Amino acid sequence: MPGQNLSWSRRLRRPVGAGLAVTAILSLAACSSDAGEGGKTTITLSMQNADVKSADPATWAIVEAFEEANPDVDVEVSGQPVAEHLQSLSIAAQSDTLPDVFWVYKANAEEMLEGDRLMDLSPVLDETGILERLPDSTVANYTADGKVFGAPYQGLLTGLWVNNKILADNGLSMPKTFDDLLEVARTLDAKGVVTISDGASQSAFSVWQFLVWLDRFGFQDKADGLLDGSEKWDNPDFIRMYEHIAELRDAGAFSSNVSTQTYQQAVDQFLQGKAAFLDSGVWAASAIQESEVAPDADFWRGPEFSDGTGEQNIVMNVASAPLVVAKKVAEDDAKLDAVKEFLEFYYSDEGQQILVDNGQPPVTDYEPKLDPVKQSVLKTAIDETREDGVTSPESQPDLLFPVDVSNAIYDSIYGVIQDQLSPSEAAALVQKALDNQ
Amino acid sequence: MVWVSSPWKIALMVFPAFILFTAFFVYPIVYAGGYSLTDAAGFSGADFIGLDNYLALVDDPFFRRSVSNTLLILVLSVTFLVPASFGLALLMQQRVRAAGALRALLFGPAIVAPILVGLVWVFILDPRVGLLNHLVEPLGIPPVQWIGGDSLTPYSIAVVFIWASVGFAMTIFYAGLQLLPREVMEASSLDGASRWQQLRFVTVPMMRETIGIVSLLLITNVFKIFELVYMLTGGGPVHSSETLVSYMYFVTFTDQRYGSGMAIAMVVFVIGAITSLAYLALSRRGRLA
Repeated sequence: MPGQNLSWSRRLRRPVGAGLAVTAILSLAACSSDAGEGGKTTITLSMQNADVKSADPATWAIVEAFEEANPDVDVEVSGQPVAEHLQSLSIAAQSDTLPDVFWVYKANAEEMLEGDRLMDLSPVLDETGILERLPDSTVANYTADGKVFGAPYQGLLTGLWVNNKILADNGLSMPKTFDDLLEVARTLDAKGVVTISDGASQSAFSVWQFLVWLDRFGFQDKADGLLDGSEKWDNPDFIRMYEHIAELRDAGAFSSNVSTQTYQQAVDQFLQGKAAFLDSGVWAASAIQESEVAPDADFWRGPEFSDGTGEQNIVMNVASAPLVVAKKVAEDDAKLDAVKEFLEFYYSDEGQQILVDNGQPPVTDYEPKLDPVKQSVLKTAIDETREDGVTSPESQPDLLFPVDVSNAIYDSIYGVIQDQLSPSEAAALVQKALDNQ
Repeated sequence: MVWVSSPWKIALMVFPAFILFTAFFVYPIVYAGGYSLTDAAGFSGADFIGLDNYLALVDDPFFRRSVSNTLLILVLSVTFLVPASFGLALLMQQRVRAAGALRALLFGPAIVAPILVGLVWVFILDPRVGLLNHLVEPLGIPPVQWIGGDSLTPYSIAVVFIWASVGFAMTIFYAGLQLLPREVMEASSLDGASRWQQLRFVTVPMMRETIGIVSLLLITNVFKIFELVYMLTGGGPVHSSETLVSYMYFVTFTDQRYGSGMAIAMVVFVIGAITSLAYLALSRRGRLA
């Protein structure tokens, strides 16, 4: 009977509907769980480059090798330019939807740790043996309130790449002191050659060499005082450092379009053999290796100053911003295990050699294997760190401060390079940013 | 008889627009206004600090520079862009050969993304590799810092902005001219008015509404200039070529001072609103006079 059929249909509708709903919920739960398709655990890795594969090949290669070695773990890599990346993290931190593992500035990481958004990595790093392979200074740098909140993403080995051919063609030899560099700048400027290739447009942070200069003018001794307010940035030592930048500028060391060219254009300028030095770091090694200047390329830790107040025989070879892990990872055993495995691989000898193969120095105590021909450029940089008596500061100065102070430091240096600020105005600019904290 | 204009029906019809307006216009302004009174910095909590962010702006030389740059670009644009685009529209109205192609050519920059406009002009204005300095070099003129120097950058940004906007403004003027009643023009001709007199006493007064609209669009667009600055100079050297919006971006996203950035956003909003309202009031007074 139609009426009976209708009645059965109505009776069936509820349990079938309920069954479908349960199935749907279970399916969704399965999708959102860490154990994805085929029992794989997915972890997310968020980086500070829009295209991680091309802009950060070392990280990309580590992830690929890790996935191959750990088929039960899937690493979802995403990336955005720094400002957008930080903005996304800021929103995610407020809604507790941070990626599992991500790159972030140290100052931001400390804020997140304070907000209980980050995992204390001490047990994980200890258990996996990573802790004892990292330099003490790095661990101390990434420790707050007794918790280790991060592990070094990559090494920050910075300096001046040198085109020996330009120096030789102009009858110059490799400088050692600031006066030597000044002489080189004057000679090259007279011949229309750029001495130091730098680019301020959209890349105000590209002042690595001058951050080392801060250490040569006593930054390490002053760091604690600057952080607690007992020391001033506009001190006579730093002002003297800015004066030396001004001397270099007046000697014609920088390109006339330093304001409008980007860092990438500065790199291109060097790769095309149009500048004698490039202010950069090991991340440029691969590009230099593939260019025509490779046979003539060298690496220099920068000039020593007769009036410097800090250690002179130094090269900036420190950990860059950290990789951190979201606290919610600890709430999920499968995910926590996957993250542990990932970190263990990242800091293993295999992971570190992948870094080296992609033009990055190791961040652990691993002794890298370098191909003297195919990696000749990177080798010059690593050799520089191994020279007799050469030491490294514990941290790059800008990385110790909140982002706005770091930006003020960059502005102060480029302000002098571009003749917009006098040395004392430059120092005062940073002091003002410190006062605002 | 059904009256569509009964109050509740009007309210019903306005309601969707009201909801959208509130969600996408009023709420963001109120939200930004609220944040501007805090020390929000992204990752940590936001504490109420009253008007401190606004007071800090008064003492911020980069902010003052961004205000003066924006106003400079505004003055230059209003002074040159409105007459130039109006003149071009008048020219297009004449029987010019290949007028259609010329119109398309002039309108072209308006459909190019500002970020690309900036990129193209970098290759023209760059002091070292730019086309312009290469062109003036044979004349014995030393390289000029069109962008990236102490003083010329805001002027160069204004020139690029005018170049990018002139076709759009011209098109609005051209459309306005097409709508002018022919009888009035013919009557003025019969009365013996010269071309200049026709322009001054007939065309311009009748185009006042269009001139107002173009000027208003221009003012609001100047207060939104960002990509040109970003591509041409990145706001440098040392923030000397920032406009209000580019500096707001720097403070908010690069410096991660969200509270201060929102204070700048509110200032941009207020200055833009006041300028537009003042202009509208002046136009209305002119119409009534």
